[in-house]
Amino acid sequence: MGSRAIAGERADAFPRIDRRSLVLGALAAPFVIGRAQAAESLKAYSIWPENYARPMLEAFEKASGIHVNFIRFSSGEALARLLAERGNPQVDVLFGGPVETFTAGEEQGIFEAYVPPSASDLPKRFKSAQGMWTAIADDPLVFMTNTKFLQEHNLQPPASWDDLLNPAYKSMLQMADARTSGTAVTRIFSILQVNNRNEDAGFAYMKKLRQNIQAYTKSGGGGTVPVGLGQAAGGIFFIVDALFTKQKGYDVQISFPKEGIGSAAECIGLVKGNKNGAAARKLIDWAASPDMQSLLAPSKINFLPAHPKVAPDPDLAAVLKQAKIIEIDDRWAGDNRKRIIDRWVAEVLNAG
Amino acid sequence: MAAQSIEIRLQGISATFHHERRGDITAVKNLDLEVRPGEFLTLLGSSGCGKTTTLRMIAGFQKPSSGRILFGDEDVTRLAANQRDIGFVFQNYALFPHLSVFENVAYGLRVKRQGAALIESSVDAGLRQVGLHGMDDRMINELSGGQQQRVALARAIAIRPRVLLFDEPLSNLDAQLRVQMRSEIVRLQRELAITTIYVTHDQEEAMAISDRIAIMDSGQIAQIGTAEQLYLRPTSRFVAGFLGSANLLRGTVVAAESAKTVIDILGHRWELAANSPVAAGRPVDAVIRPEALTLAKQGAGPRGRVESRTYYGDKAEYLVRVGDELIQAVQWNPSTEDAFCDGDQVCVQLPASSVQLLAVD
Amino acid sequence: MAASVQTIAARSSVRPEAWLWRGGLLGIWLLLLIFIVYPLLMLFSRAFLDDGHLSLQALGAAISAPKNLRALGNSLLLAMMVGVAGTLLGLIFAFTVERVRSARRVSRLIDFFTFLPLISPPFTTSIAFVFSFGPRGLITYELLGIKNVQVYGLTSTFAAETLTYFPIAYLALRPMLASISTSLEEAAFSLGGSRWYAFRTVTLPLVIPALANAFLLLFGCSLADFATPLILAGSDFSVLPTEAYLQITGLFDLKSGAILSLLLLVPAGLVFYAQERVVAGRSYVTVTGKAGVLAQHDSVSGIAGAVLLGFCLLVSALIVYFYLLLFYASIVLAFGANHTLTLDHYRVIFSEGLPAIRDTLIIALIGMPLGGIYGITIGYLVGRTTFISRKAMEAVSMLNYALPGTIVGIAYLLAFNDEPLALTGTAAILIACYVFRYSPIGIRTTVALLQQIDRSMEEASASLGAGSLTTFRRIMLPLILPAFFAGLGVVFIRSMTAISATIFLVSINWTLITVKILENMTEVALGPAAAFSVFVIVVVVLVTSMLNVLLQRLTAPSLRVGKIGA
Repeated sequence: MGSRAIAGERADAFPRIDRRSLVLGALAAPFVIGRAQAAESLKAYSIWPENYARPMLEAFEKASGIHVNFIRFSSGEALARLLAERGNPQVDVLFGGPVETFTAGEEQGIFEAYVPPSASDLPKRFKSAQGMWTAIADDPLVFMTNTKFLQEHNLQPPASWDDLLNPAYKSMLQMADARTSGTAVTRIFSILQVNNRNEDAGFAYMKKLRQNIQAYTKSGGGGTVPVGLGQAAGGIFFIVDALFTKQKGYDVQISFPKEGIGSAAECIGLVKGNKNGAAARKLIDWAASPDMQSLLAPSKINFLPAHPKVAPDPDLAAVLKQAKIIEIDDRWAGDNRKRIIDRWVAEVLNAG
Repeated sequence: MAAQSIEIRLQGISATFHHERRGDITAVKNLDLEVRPGEFLTLLGSSGCGKTTTLRMIAGFQKPSSGRILFGDEDVTRLAANQRDIGFVFQNYALFPHLSVFENVAYGLRVKRQGAALIESSVDAGLRQVGLHGMDDRMINELSGGQQQRVALARAIAIRPRVLLFDEPLSNLDAQLRVQMRSEIVRLQRELAITTIYVTHDQEEAMAISDRIAIMDSGQIAQIGTAEQLYLRPTSRFVAGFLGSANLLRGTVVAAESAKTVIDILGHRWELAANSPVAAGRPVDAVIRPEALTLAKQGAGPRGRVESRTYYGDKAEYLVRVGDELIQAVQWNPSTEDAFCDGDQVCVQLPASSVQLLAVD
Repeated sequence: MAASVQTIAARSSVRPEAWLWRGGLLGIWLLLLIFIVYPLLMLFSRAFLDDGHLSLQALGAAISAPKNLRALGNSLLLAMMVGVAGTLLGLIFAFTVERVRSARRVSRLIDFFTFLPLISPPFTTSIAFVFSFGPRGLITYELLGIKNVQVYGLTSTFAAETLTYFPIAYLALRPMLASISTSLEEAAFSLGGSRWYAFRTVTLPLVIPALANAFLLLFGCSLADFATPLILAGSDFSVLPTEAYLQITGLFDLKSGAILSLLLLVPAGLVFYAQERVVAGRSYVTVTGKAGVLAQHDSVSGIAGAVLLGFCLLVSALIVYFYLLLFYASIVLAFGANHTLTLDHYRVIFSEGLPAIRDTLIIALIGMPLGGIYGITIGYLVGRTTFISRKAMEAVSMLNYALPGTIVGIAYLLAFNDEPLALTGTAAILIACYVFRYSPIGIRTTVALLQQIDRSMEEASASLGAGSLTTFRRIMLPLILPAFFAGLGVVFIRSMTAISATIFLVSINWTLITVKILENMTEVALGPAAAFSVFVIVVVVLVTSMLNVLLQRLTAPSLRVGKIGA
């Protein structure tokens, strides 16, 4: 290092870079750095978590040669993004996600109509009347509780909505926040449906349930590991997340309320203003058909297939045997989504 | 007004430090010192000699690794600094920047919880004593260096300590101010009659203000005495070379009697009114101050050649080559008639007294 | 040298050539306008304009809505608590390291421990908190057997934020304490008071400006904190940044989100103003006296010192425990359920997460030099030269730094989504966000360093014939090198760990590790979240160490200054 004490000599060691060109070059770099592109590709926002979306989309690429660039958002975030980007859409497809998000999006006009061939096989609730979205899976809600907690408190797994009001669960339940998660919206509409759309009755129940809530999570599955670990006693989740938790090894119980619980179709839609129309349509075709849905069971992804020709995984079917799945009117849900969520935020979330 | 002045004694004081890179350093080695009541003693030496460490041990800022410190009859070795009743003036003054001049000086008095009126009058008197009357409300950063120095002084004496300690307090001032301030310090000290220990590396300062000086080297006292004793009767080559300039000339003792010695030096036989530390026939070093030598065209004494002359107005300094030696000589109040030029042959007249003889080891 | 106050180095009279000067100024103003002023204008317009008409109706509704008022109140309360507790904790640490003799040996260690929270990705403390103090927490349940502990809420958020941010107070207070010469304490001590008296009447008053500054820093940090409350605050304790985020991303309500973030602007602005005005004018700088290599005055008695040191080590141990927990979670299959050791999570982050890693590193490495250069350029302009808009430039350049990240993120989203400058989906928007948000630290460091350099140096260089660029390059640049490196370090660290602004700006093409961590957290894939976090910490430590080494090598020995820290 030497003992030179004169700063000037050090300065000579400084590289002679013109500052301005450095800045320009650096700013230009991101535009110039190429991205590995397959022959054909498209972009999607996926509401399905990465560990579900990735295997499916990789299978699609294998089957069709089309590469899908995707990023994962929760349903509320995805919708917000699409709305904000309306003037300059960044993606072609919205992949996966509960139906209520799609009906809300349909209302906002962010989709372009496209009906895949397999849609004709699907019942009415699995497709949009205007052809704006199509279901690719079905996902019932379940109650999930921590086994040890039940044992310690001498409880049976909850078999009724009212069981969740048990004071033993005080501040021990985790479930999704309706502002960001479709799981929550489906849950709320299930409660309303169970109360025959009597909103006041439904909201009265939810206000009581609030006492037992430990936290409302940002995403639908956010409470699963806390329940698995015992930090929370239980919650209401989509079956796909609940079973995934069980598969990971956490000791939990899955149960259903006798009054019935809702199920949300998982959908796919073509974004208006998309730039890779042909590829996008191929993806929608593929996902709405048995081509993708027959891969769900072998991949241990616990969605129910939407297409009638695909048989559900036997273990999954066994779990659902005792379930009473009630139908939620998607049209009604879509029309009233914002209002109901706002009411939930005002009366339930902030009541505590 | 002043309490009884006390004696300070250091017995076998040592200070050893562990430095993370340099290992164990002994800054002070087994030092003994006695400071008389009311005395102004200076510890003089170059940096690293241990004078500051010694001072800080007396103050209580540093624990000695061995030895005892006594203030009067009291063993203060174990006592914390705030219980020793000392006044310490720091080199950088260490004035409290967020307090006014008044509050700085009053600080120690407030600690003692003296009454407001008493504090007021003490501070007032103190500021007067140092010539800063009327500056009570000023903040420290508004003062000049010399004024800050005075505030530091006033703060230290306001509490009427039994010991006053100075750590090179004038080294940050310019030359003129230094001279002015040191006489004020001396004046104040005489007035208050507080036993004082002063640390400096400046010989002139030490000689000007001290009752006695202790010259320190490598953690020990080389010699202690009055300025005159140290200057005229140094007991070692180190001390001889430390104070002022000195010629150290090697010679051989021819005859040694009480108060009279004859030595063979510079090829010349020379009779001195001095005691010889060694027997006849042994080598000896003669300490001769430049101003004690006289240069003349002719005379008795070794002959040499002038190598340089430097004129200073009040004096002229000569370097004269005599044989192998280069001798310094000083001519006071020089006139052009007496001046010698480079290359001139001169006779160096050795003095008959004012010479110290040192044994050669 | 007499004790003196800071003297502001006079402005340089040396001006660069006219063309360079004007062109450069214009260019910089252009950048500032585009990347700082324009987005904020868009934010305001979205909040206050309805179809082009000024409408305060939405603002009025938002201000009077009880839930928003509650969120605002909560935010302020939390910030106040964190400010006080964090400053106190930072003071204890700083005092212990600077004044307790037995702490000297472990000061390096303490430095490292307090460095960790500063460079960590978000959620690190929060995750560890939940695992440690929740109903089945490792500490509360396993260790202490306490049941049914509520981990979500004010207390946890407060504790987690305090532990996350107190290092900032520590870093701000430590040099201050170091600069107070021990001779002041010795003087006070020699005048008779006890050590505590000396501390109370001499040391403490001198540190107060720094304490106030630290408090304001922490207050601002807590106010803007988005990540910790997201995990720990629970549904009963809402705070503004999280509310704004949820408004936008959940309810796709950009307007309310904009308004909420503007609510945050008020306290943030006040804090910033307070910092600039009230604190800066009252600093007392003292000159250290004879650097007694062997100075040994004890500012604290042995027992007090041991207690302080013990406390600091305890807190440090807690921090280390959190990180060990994080590391452990990254190497077990499913934390809490399946504790088989595995490297699977790391495999996942390097395969599926590789795009995020690549993207983040690219953005960080590009932003780093840009931020460094931008920092010293503005610092030099603002701290050394005179021109008409200087004060304005100084204020504007600080804006994005002063504002909570949520505001900046939303503003950028609004501004750059459409023409004229559609930057969403590019790396440029992320880089710009980082550079303009975090360079102010480099700017401030540059200004501070410049104040210590006398202007006669530039004049000497000019008198010897050097042009302004040459003078800058050969004289000033080497002297402000530490500021350049500080700028590099901060932008890099923040690019790797920030989330509150950039969560709004990620896209298909460019995604960030921190967002991935959040995603994994919310999908409760804790393994990958932890693995990502560990990766980030390792990379940041490596890069900052390299920067430090580089700085030491490039700096002339006589100019050595301290480490790059925050």
